[in-house]
Formats: sequence, structure tokens, C-alpha cells
Amino acid sequence: MPTCLARNRAHASGMRLWHGLALAAVMLAPATALHAEDAADRQAEIRDKILSIQAALAGQGTINAPVTPAADSPALGAPLSDRPMAIHVLSRMTFGARPGQIDEVVIQGWKAWVKQQLDPGSIKDDELDSRLEQYPSLCLSMANVFDRYRPAYASDPPTPEEQKKRNELQYQVRRELRESVLVRAVESKRQFQEVVAEFWRNHFNVDQNKDDVAFLANHYEEQVIRAHLFGRFEDMLQASAHHPAMLIYLDNIVSQRPYSPYELRLIERYEMNKYKPRIVAALERQRGLNENYARELMELHTLGVDNGYTQNDVTELASVLTGWSAGWDKGGAYGFHFREDVHDTNARFVLGYRVSGKGQERDGEQIISYLAQHPNTAMFIAWKLCRYLVDDDPPRQLVERVAGVFRKSRGDLTQVYEAILLSPEFASSRFYRGKFKTPFEFTVSALRATGAKVENAQATLHALGRMGQPIYQCEDPTGYYDTAEAWLDPGVLIYRWDYVLRLANDQVEGVRVSGEFRAAWNKRSDKELDEFLSQTLLPGAPDARTREVIKQARDRTRQLGLALGSPAFMQQ
Amino acid sequence: MTTRREFLKATSAVLGAGALGGLAPRLAFAADDATAAARPTLVTIYLRGGADVLSVVVPYGEQLYYKYRPTTAIPAQAVGDVKGIIPITSYFGVHPSLEPLSDLLKAGLAAPIINVGSTHPTRSHFDAQDFMERAAPGVKTITEGWLNRYLELTRKGDDQDFRAVSLQPTLPRSLRGQYPVLAVPDVDGEGVMGAFDQMYPCLHNGADQPAGTPGAKAGAAPAETAVRDAITDSGGQSIRKLRELRRILDQAGKSAAEYPQSGFGRQMRDLASIIKAQRGLEVAALDYHGWDTHAYQGNANGDMAGKLADLSASVAAFARDLGPRFGRTLVLVMSEFGRTARENGNNGTDHGHGGVMLAIGGMVKGRQVYGQWTGLDPQTLYERRDLPVTTDFRLIFHETLHQLFAFDSNKHKFFPDYKHNPRPLGFLNAPG
Repeated sequence: MPTCLARNRAHASGMRLWHGLALAAVMLAPATALHAEDAADRQAEIRDKILSIQAALAGQGTINAPVTPAADSPALGAPLSDRPMAIHVLSRMTFGARPGQIDEVVIQGWKAWVKQQLDPGSIKDDELDSRLEQYPSLCLSMANVFDRYRPAYASDPPTPEEQKKRNELQYQVRRELRESVLVRAVESKRQFQEVVAEFWRNHFNVDQNKDDVAFLANHYEEQVIRAHLFGRFEDMLQASAHHPAMLIYLDNIVSQRPYSPYELRLIERYEMNKYKPRIVAALERQRGLNENYARELMELHTLGVDNGYTQNDVTELASVLTGWSAGWDKGGAYGFHFREDVHDTNARFVLGYRVSGKGQERDGEQIISYLAQHPNTAMFIAWKLCRYLVDDDPPRQLVERVAGVFRKSRGDLTQVYEAILLSPEFASSRFYRGKFKTPFEFTVSALRATGAKVENAQATLHALGRMGQPIYQCEDPTGYYDTAEAWLDPGVLIYRWDYVLRLANDQVEGVRVSGEFRAAWNKRSDKELDEFLSQTLLPGAPDARTREVIKQARDRTRQLGLALGSPAFMQQ
Repeated sequence: MTTRREFLKATSAVLGAGALGGLAPRLAFAADDATAAARPTLVTIYLRGGADVLSVVVPYGEQLYYKYRPTTAIPAQAVGDVKGIIPITSYFGVHPSLEPLSDLLKAGLAAPIINVGSTHPTRSHFDAQDFMERAAPGVKTITEGWLNRYLELTRKGDDQDFRAVSLQPTLPRSLRGQYPVLAVPDVDGEGVMGAFDQMYPCLHNGADQPAGTPGAKAGAAPAETAVRDAITDSGGQSIRKLRELRRILDQAGKSAAEYPQSGFGRQMRDLASIIKAQRGLEVAALDYHGWDTHAYQGNANGDMAGKLADLSASVAAFARDLGPRFGRTLVLVMSEFGRTARENGNNGTDHGHGGVMLAIGGMVKGRQVYGQWTGLDPQTLYERRDLPVTTDFRLIFHETLHQLFAFDSNKHKFFPDYKHNPRPLGFLNAPG
């Protein structure tokens, strides 16, 4: 390998994690001004944070033993009372309350509601199930998706009509997945399932726009993400590692063992020849090691960035994973394919864990299993989930406690979610409505709040693209972020306002506000409307400015658009 | 042959700025007081997809080039309807689509830098762009773009709203970070903004001055109020700035040059209007997509040739439009990597390593090709297939910040893990 690869990235252990937290905290500071002194203060703050977390990591006992939070959390604030708590669980565990849903949760009791959502199989949802029949590609094997959506050409060369037909089919298979994600988020009664699906979809991000991922992401969504949402973390991790969509997206299918000296000599001998022996031509097509997937497997999927691995570990893991590829078998099935011819068979060490190099794909599976159980993985996943469900800057004692549950339960995700949702931190007034909705959360919550039906998702999918969050098209392997800092850019709110003004006017193509909601909204007196806003649509009492602007607006339709575009509706 | 002086003289004459004959170029810029007082402006143009360096700066004196590229080479001289290169030296020429820039090249106000790139070997678009735009190859702990870091480190209380802009809906990575930079939505926002402007006031005076907003230290106050204030202010600042931008563009009147009728041409025209309005624009960044030419790349004709023509006509119009202000403006065109030296089986080229930058502006010391050229011999190619990187892009970024803004990146540990190169390229003069 080129020596320039041998960069040691361990120097900033834990940096990104806690640097990100500090940034989020700063973002929430009232003043956006960051003068030199402030910047210095912030640096010191970040440094302190890193030192303290490193200290925590050094003393393994701190991590292993669940920490009692009470003594350590003076700023936690009072627990929320019943109605705000119902609002809170609906904020964090659904894509926004449906009309009447806050009262339902108050009556049922929030804890009972949470437990029900943690067991999605117990919730019947026939209406959605039948709606999903519109998307047949979701239930097909990968081979059948290719057959159906990328049929072989009948003529050679293909006619323009054939090519056009194929383009349409490729568009359709991508649309089916994107639309199903949106429709499920809006309509599912198993809302928490959809909320965690969004989390894991971003954690194990793949992008439809990369090569054949266009055809494979549908199967990936069903069999990698959705199949394991309430199962074990390691199962989801192994499934993603064996799925063609991931192996293509992060370039592992082109990763091959480096040339031997003999092969290199062979290539050089025929360097300038126009006609080369077949074996040399095949060798030349070989691309060498590609570290992309191996790096993201540790950086994004398990340990967290620079969290206990070195560049050498990346290279070693990439070698172990050479030959993890995708293809057709003799029986006509498409899927994971282990290519022995390009697999590296040397003994390798990853994080000190040794594999012999003779175990074929078992070697890689063992290391992935080791990574899934690594304590840094428990911390990283716990921290990310707490950030998603609790606060952009989640309390450390909560993260440590949740990481403890993760380790003890060997990554049982239902237990991990429960540890977060039933924690005192989750119920604390300090984090109430403290998350800024992502474009996806914002859009879906507007549709849910108005009881809107999505008959045709195209216009809404397009709007999400303009807001910066097109479904299943995140280029970046980090997936979309869920923090305010990532989304609160100048200029982008315009697209949110534009969407909800059109939604209120039934001007989003394929989408209509429910008649029932519209009638109730229009029928209210000014006083009743104001009460509805502060009790239901913008709970937690919108600021006086928002109420005044809505009051002054020319008609009920305009008022609806303004309410949905208000600062309070962007919070959850 | 056009000289630097003659070029600037010609542009001044267009604007009626009077005769400047016989003066040194710097004095020519100084003739306009407002221009001399203004901060210089940096415009980066990012060619997304990995632009093929050997089609932009053509080593027409190298036989291997023609051997490697049976269908995509640019001929030294025109063959039928296929135009030949525009020579800059006896060995290098530029693509004939760069004809609109030839006056600038001849006047010594434009120069290519070759074998430029990253110390990281990645051939992934995403990683290569990401590493370059954060100017941190292989390092993922820095989340802000290099231009944003510069803005943030030099932020002052009285920064103007338009100190940095990107005239596109999403900010390029180089401009993302703590420093607030305006992205410009591609909707006509006035109807939408008019509905919400009362609900979203600015909670701060100007971009930077806190106006005694409620809420205590972050973390202590309930997140509810802090987040709501942040959302409100962000919306308010967006409305204020977008309206101001609209005013600037409306007042700009007719451009002093003819721009291509393309999206990119319009962006460059608007950028020139902001610069001419003297609103303190220091940094602008634009994306130009579609340079990933794996198949049917073309030669002097074709898809890539068309894009190069649009790019260079837009930049040339921008230079003419700015007139004397062009003396304090630098346009830096870049891409994430170059492409394979040999063309592939689809009349295209694949992801490579060493790439190219084009520096265009009044401070550029032109009439030469910068960077260390290592030839096309298989032995000297990177992994026997790509141009090697002999100039780290961070050296160019360093010299740019230093010459334009007197910002010393070494002092700030601006580039992580970067060992400063004591031998500068020296492609820029200090602003006059």
C-alpha cells in the first residue's frame, strides 16, 4: 500500500463525538456572536468535555456499572406532568401528533402507550398494510427486482423505446421505495417503529443514486433495516455487511487483495502492448484494496470516529473484507457473493483481534461480531440514540447507563430503547420541545397534524429534496444528521414555509388536508382557535408574536399555513 | 499579443474609467479609490465529478498523450471540424473551448496549476471533495469547510451581511460551518417571506450584534426557549438578507458584459453585481456539476467541451463586467481529482489522482504553467495510471488566503496535520 495511507488517526480519540456535542450546545446559546474570547472559552469547554469523557472511558468501571443519575444531574429540572408528557412522547416517538392523539395518550397513560409502541406487532394496522401493496418491489427478492425493473433488452442494440421503458422502470423502483418511506411515516400506527427505522436508515445509510443500489435499496430497507428494528444490533450490522446495497455503496465490491510481486512484474512487462494475454488484462482491471467500507464500518457503524482504532486497523479490516462482493449464483439468485479469487488470505489483526486468513468470509464475520460487542460501540450507539430521542447534547450519565444496558443485553435494541424512554432524563422538563425538526420530521408532522392523505407523493418528495433531505438519496455515508446545528442554515426555512403554505391551500399535488380537520379548523371561533393552537397544534404555548400574527391573518386557510410554518411547529 | 496592461486598459475603457496607458498595472487598479480600499474577493468554482486535467491543460508536446487517448485527445492543430489547442507554451496548451479566456491568458491574468491534489489517495468523489473542501485530507474530525473556518477565525463585530455568499440553494461544503453564510433558494421567495416576516423578526442587530435576547447560558435555560429563539432568528436573518440581496441585484442595472444564457452565467453575473455594489464581499463559492466523464467525454467537441465553453465564457464576461475591480478579484477553479491518463473502453476516462486548478484574476502572475509536471511515462504516473500530485492543494489555499487577505494559515494551525511548504508557488501578486 502507498505509505501515505499509513496515517494514524487515533490522535484525536473521541474528539468528533464530543466536539459535535459542544457545537450543538453553542448553537443553542442566545447570541450567535462568537468573538475571539468566546471562541477560546468554547475551545476550553470542548477540551474539558473531551478530558472528562476520556477519563470516563479510561476507568472501565464507570462504564460497566450503571450510574445513578440523580446526584449528578442538578440541571435536569422537574419531571413533566401528564399532558406535557403525552406531548413529549408524541414529539419524540412519532412523527408528530395526529388530531386528537394527545388526549388519547393522556387517557391511556403515557407509560402504557410507550410500552405498546415498543411492541409494534401488538398494534394492528390493516389500512397501511393494504396501502403498501402498491409497492410490490418491497417484497421481491433482489433477483426478481432486477428481472422486473431491469428486464433484458429484446433487441440488440436496444431500440430507443426499450431504453425509454427501462429508464421508466428504474425510476419506478426508486420511487416505490421513497414513497413507501414517506407513506409509512405519515400513516403508520406503529409510529415508534417508523421513528427508529429513520434512525437506522441513516445510521446504515445507502444512496439510491449509486449504481445498482437503485434496485437493491428496496430489499435493503426491508431485510436489513426493518427486519431488525426491535432485534439485536449485531444482526442488523451483519445483515448490512452482507447486503449488496451496502457493499456497492461503500465500494467493497471493487476492493481486492493487492498484487503479488509476480503479478506486478507481469503487468509491467505488457505495459505498453496493445494486445495483452487474458490473465494480464484481468489483472489490470483489478483495483487493489479499497478501504471505504472498512473505515465506515468502524467509524460510522460501530466504534465512532477515531474512537479506538488506527489507520492500520482500517487497512487490516479492508484486507479481511476483500472478496465480500455481490453477484448471481448458478441457481439465478442474486445476493452476497464471496469471491475467493480476490480475497486476501494473510493473517490479520484488527484492534488486536487476530484472524487466520484461512477462514474465508467467517474471518470477516468474526471481526464484525467483535466490533458489535466492543464497549466503544455500545457507547457510540447509546450516545447517538440518546441524541436522537432526548437532546442534541444528551446527558452523559444517561448515555453511560444506556450503554450499560446495550452491553448487558448484548445489543438488544428493544431494551436499549426502553432504557432511554423510561429514564428520568427523557421525562425531564429540561429537554421538552428542545429538538429542531429535520426537514423530514417537519414535513411528515405537518401532514399528520392536518390529517392529510398522501395520494401521490411526488410533489412532497420533491419538496423534501429542496429542503435538503431527499429520501434514500443521502450521498454522505453519515446519513442525515438529526441535530439543529446541521439544519438551521440561513435560507433553508423558505422551503419549509413554501411547503406548508401550499399544503394549507391544498396546492401540494397529490396531498389533501383531511375534510374533518379542515371543517373543525374553519368552524372554530377566534378564541377557540387560539386555544387549539396552544393546547394542540403548537403545544407548550406558542410565543405571543406567533399568536398575534396568526390572529391578524386574512382567513382560516392562511392561518393554518402560518401556524404550520411558525417557529413553535418546527420544534419537537 | 495582449499585455496585462492592455487588457485592463481595455476593460477600463469599456467602463469609461479613462486612459491608463503607461502606468504599471497596480497603479491602474489604484486609479479607482473605492476599488483600492475594498477587500479583495475570492471566488471559488468547484467542478464536481473530477474534471479531466489532460483535456483542460493539454501536453500537446507529449507523444504519449496521443497514444493514451485515441478518441479523446485534443489535437495540436485543427483537424477538420475538430479545433486544436490554444498554445500557452511550446509543450502545453489549453482546450479550444477556453478561447474566451485567451485574452486573459495572453495578458498574464490567468494561469493553470497542474498536478494539484490531495495527499490522500482516495478516488471516491465524496471523500475527495470532502477532504478538499475541509482542506483536511484523511481527517474527519474537522467538520467546517476551509472557507468557513477562515471567515470564522477572522470574524469581527461589524462584518457585513454579504461578506460570504453562495448563489445556490445549498452551500458547498467549503462554506459550511459556524460562520453564517447565506444560501439562496431557487424559489421566488417574496410571497413566502411576506407571509412570515412578522413572525420571524431578527433577534440580533445585524449579523453579529446580540440585542439582549432572553435566555441564560446554553444548557441552563430550558431548551424550548433557546431553540425557538434560534429558529426565529435564523428565519429573520434569512428574510432580511434575501431581501437585501434582491435589492442589490435589482439596482445593479445592465451588466457591462454579455454573459452566457446559462444557470452558471447568471450566477456569475449576479456575483459581479454584488461585488460592484461594494457590500464587502470577500468569499463566494459556486458549484458546477457534471465533470464525471466516464463515457463519451468528447475531444474538442462534445459534452465536456460544451461545459468548458460555458465556464470560460462566463468567467471572461465576469472579468470584463468587473472592470478595474477585477484587479482585486481572484477566481480559483478546482475539482476533486484528475482522471486516468489513458482513456477507457467507453471513450471516457476514470477517476484519477493529480488534477488542475485555474487561477484567474488581476493578481495572478500568468504566462506560465505552475506546478511540477512529471510527464506521462508509466513509471512516473501514480499507480501507473494517473498524474501524480506534486502540489498539495493546501499550498494554493495557503497562498490565496495569505496574498488576498494577509491571513497566515500557519499561525492558526489552519490545516490539520499539514507541514508548511517553505517553497511557495508564487502564483499571486499582493493586491495593489
